[in-house]
Amino acid sequence: MSRKFTRRSFIGSSVSAASLLAGERLFGERAPDGTQPSADLEKLGDVAMAEAKKQGATYADLRIGRYRNQFSGYRLSPERGSNITDEVPFVTDQNSFGFGVRVIVNGQWGFAASPLVTADEIARITREAVTVAKANAAAQATPVQLAPVKVYRDRWTSKFDKDPFAIAMDEKLELIRSAAVSAKKDPKVFSSFGALGFQAEDKYFASSEGSSIQQYVVRVYPLLSVTAVDFKNGISRTRSYTVEPQTAGWEAIAKANLLENAPRIRSEVLEHLAAPPVKPGKKDLVLLPSHLWLTIHESIGHSTELDRALGYEANYAGTSFLTTKKMGNFRMGSELMNVFGDRTNDRGLATVKYDDDGVLTTKFPIIERGVFKHYQTIRDQAHLIGETESRGCCYGDSWSSVPFQRMPNVWLAPGPETVTPEDLISGVDDGVLIDGNGSFSIDQQRYNFQFGGDAFWEIKGGKKGGMVSRVAYQARTPDFWHACDGISGPSYWQQFGAPNDGKGEPAQSNAVSHGCSPSRFRQINVLLTD
Amino acid sequence: MLSQQDVKNIIDQVIGYSKLPECEVYVNWTEDDFIRFANNGITTSGYRITQQISISSTTADKRSGNAVVGELSAEALKNGVKQAEELAAISRPNPEDMPALPAQKYPHLSNFDDYTAAARGDVMVPQVKAILAGALQNKLVAAGYIQRSANAVGVGNKAGLFGYHTYTDSSLTHTMRNAGGTSSGWATQSSVSLKDLDGEEQVKVSIDKCLRGTNRKKLDPGKYTVIMEPAAVADLIGRLGFAFGARRAEQGQSFLSKPGEGQNGGGTYLGEKLFPEIITLRSDPFQPKLASTPWGPSLLPNERVAWIDKGVVKNLYYDRFWAEKAGKKPTPYPANLVLDGQDNSLADLIASVDRGLLVTRLWYIRVLQPKTWQLTGLTRDGVFLIEKGKVTDAVNNFRWNESPVEVLQRTVKLTQPQRVTNDESGSNMAPALITTDFNLASISDAV
Repeated sequence: MSRKFTRRSFIGSSVSAASLLAGERLFGERAPDGTQPSADLEKLGDVAMAEAKKQGATYADLRIGRYRNQFSGYRLSPERGSNITDEVPFVTDQNSFGFGVRVIVNGQWGFAASPLVTADEIARITREAVTVAKANAAAQATPVQLAPVKVYRDRWTSKFDKDPFAIAMDEKLELIRSAAVSAKKDPKVFSSFGALGFQAEDKYFASSEGSSIQQYVVRVYPLLSVTAVDFKNGISRTRSYTVEPQTAGWEAIAKANLLENAPRIRSEVLEHLAAPPVKPGKKDLVLLPSHLWLTIHESIGHSTELDRALGYEANYAGTSFLTTKKMGNFRMGSELMNVFGDRTNDRGLATVKYDDDGVLTTKFPIIERGVFKHYQTIRDQAHLIGETESRGCCYGDSWSSVPFQRMPNVWLAPGPETVTPEDLISGVDDGVLIDGNGSFSIDQQRYNFQFGGDAFWEIKGGKKGGMVSRVAYQARTPDFWHACDGISGPSYWQQFGAPNDGKGEPAQSNAVSHGCSPSRFRQINVLLTD
Repeated sequence: MLSQQDVKNIIDQVIGYSKLPECEVYVNWTEDDFIRFANNGITTSGYRITQQISISSTTADKRSGNAVVGELSAEALKNGVKQAEELAAISRPNPEDMPALPAQKYPHLSNFDDYTAAARGDVMVPQVKAILAGALQNKLVAAGYIQRSANAVGVGNKAGLFGYHTYTDSSLTHTMRNAGGTSSGWATQSSVSLKDLDGEEQVKVSIDKCLRGTNRKKLDPGKYTVIMEPAAVADLIGRLGFAFGARRAEQGQSFLSKPGEGQNGGGTYLGEKLFPEIITLRSDPFQPKLASTPWGPSLLPNERVAWIDKGVVKNLYYDRFWAEKAGKKPTPYPANLVLDGQDNSLADLIASVDRGLLVTRLWYIRVLQPKTWQLTGLTRDGVFLIEKGKVTDAVNNFRWNESPVEVLQRTVKLTQPQRVTNDESGSNMAPALITTDFNLASISDAV
């Protein structure tokens, strides 16, 4: 069924405000793929589209969103001046519900949002969005141009077996408490912390071009960490069990084996506390996926965002050393390097069927055999680099946020199956093996970066040795990726990520995953940090 | 905007639904309007209303649950209370829970401006146009952001505590780059009143920095005497605000912990002179240029607190639980930070440096070592060489590895503070300062 602008009629009066105030009636359920969005939501979409047309908008979209974030956890730490351990639980369930309207008037974007989801308010806020667009037209550089998009009427739910919100809180607390207690079992461990985070994003999108899309995404974030303190020498170290955050359900928590990993991080934090400092200098690095994902995120994910390259983020997140002239020809790294942008991959935090422009999401090459091929794009930017369609990277982190270009899952393809992590280590004479994340920092054009880690092991004469401490490495993005001379096979490929990638003004968060296999980098500058 | 009566009604309604002994309610309501611009034109902009009601319920045996709702209907609030109470019933006793605070006398803060609260795009667009005009006149490229917000916040609990406050805030910031992307300047202003923002004045600063930066020279990394402009200082000291926690200090995990045997190590440096006489760092909720609230997270009234007074570590932050354990009075949370200054101008500072660097602002600051408060980050949007008391050449950016503690310890001269709102650590009052031996660890090719 076509739902073009021209066929819409103003039906606000038929949608009763009272029936729509409680957002949970409209949202929060999984639905079989391919079914239609809620009829009530579609009626509200019609209200916005009709009002936008009446006000002279040439394009409009409405997003109604319900967001739920549930956290539960435990902190175990000593009481003041004693060896008694306080076990401090926390539980919170946060809901947010509202809508935002985007319009194009006189070639200029306008946006307005409100938490009161009624037909009258949607019409009012649509007029506000038009007012915003008209005011801004006075300082317009170039009129907005949107890449064409197909019209969709669809409902989609992310893959999960067991709804994490349906699991009793008691079960969650017991799991996380047991893991935290086990992690702190050794009296030399100062404190432990465990948490489970669950996020549901349920949103409806309607556009003046006729699309009507409802999507429900569930993500899980497990965490377990311990801290050890050497009071005499004034040293403190933390060790985390890095669990893959992912678009999935409770089944991912069960697979994470928090309890089984607690004794390991307990002994590793104590080893780290006593570990000798690294000897700084040029060293080979073998980076595990639990660590390398963040280096990929910062150095490749952000440098290949088109809005940065074009200067749209110049005042905040920054620009990119990958200027548009480099697209298709710049050698970013070694021949081994193949990187994809992908919002379709299994369990990726940025995985969704349609983006916030209503574009069907895709998988596309960003780097092929070391050469930079494609940017991440959205509808209003594609034409600026001569492309005819968006790559589906539009996202707003809330109903009250303006959707803009955000990172898809960006992943490094594995090497040949025959290459094992042991093979990579055996080829290192003097190096460091790094697991997990520590400090991370990169400049505003994504050249100079410095990364710490969560745990470090010395590699000597091709063998993994004991832990070392106070490690960070510093490099320039293209130099670092040129130094990559080994990537392990598909069996070792893992996907990690974060829920809070910041960008934009006002600042927004994006959840994104980065998969990779253990990889080796030659002669990187290793620093002694403190 | 939610009035005091609106907020009171919401809180009373929530408390009315509550069945557990304790119920605490926070109400946050914001209306904001913003314009973002880049490549010499407006890109995105918006107007929005957001609201949040946070409900925390606690049982007699100290089990707590929290629910946050965004809707104000009776049904939504009732559901929120039910959710918080169900979570509390399922949770475990919290040994660190403190009893609800009774009614408090909150200070009156004057940081609401009617003009700012009513301002819309038509008032902000001329500021943007002034910046764009400056860019076009100089064949440069501007990107930036202007925003204003009107906020109503309220708190209440079953023990009779109630508070209500309104405040406004606004900021204008922009980056000026040359067409070739080889130079970048930046400027910022923020105030509770939009009337204090001045695009015409602001753009002069960024243009000057951008034009000076076009032929930048390569300078090697190393330890330099550095003049940090207020934005750079605010980036650093904003982070330091988190470092005065008594718990971490007393438990051996802070730069304020003394090494020593046992669970408490060797005590803390409270009362000791760790910094030069010219360093006074404090929180001031009454500073009219900052958008503070009358209470902090513990709901205790905010007060003026000195963390460092003339070089001496004067206070640590004791939350209510830790204060009770330590037998001390709880401390208000460091709501903002003010680094006091001296009667010098930036020109005075520059004139007093024989060889050093002038740094505009910092970027991507992360903690390398929480114990020592060692940080890493980069310089951004203008680094200039100072030779014989004069700014000479623009130079490349650097990565730095430094501790704000040590930077303040090596500080030799300051200007008077000004308000700075930045990406790294919110709004604070910071002066420009001269510090020695600043560790610029490697070159950043970024512009």
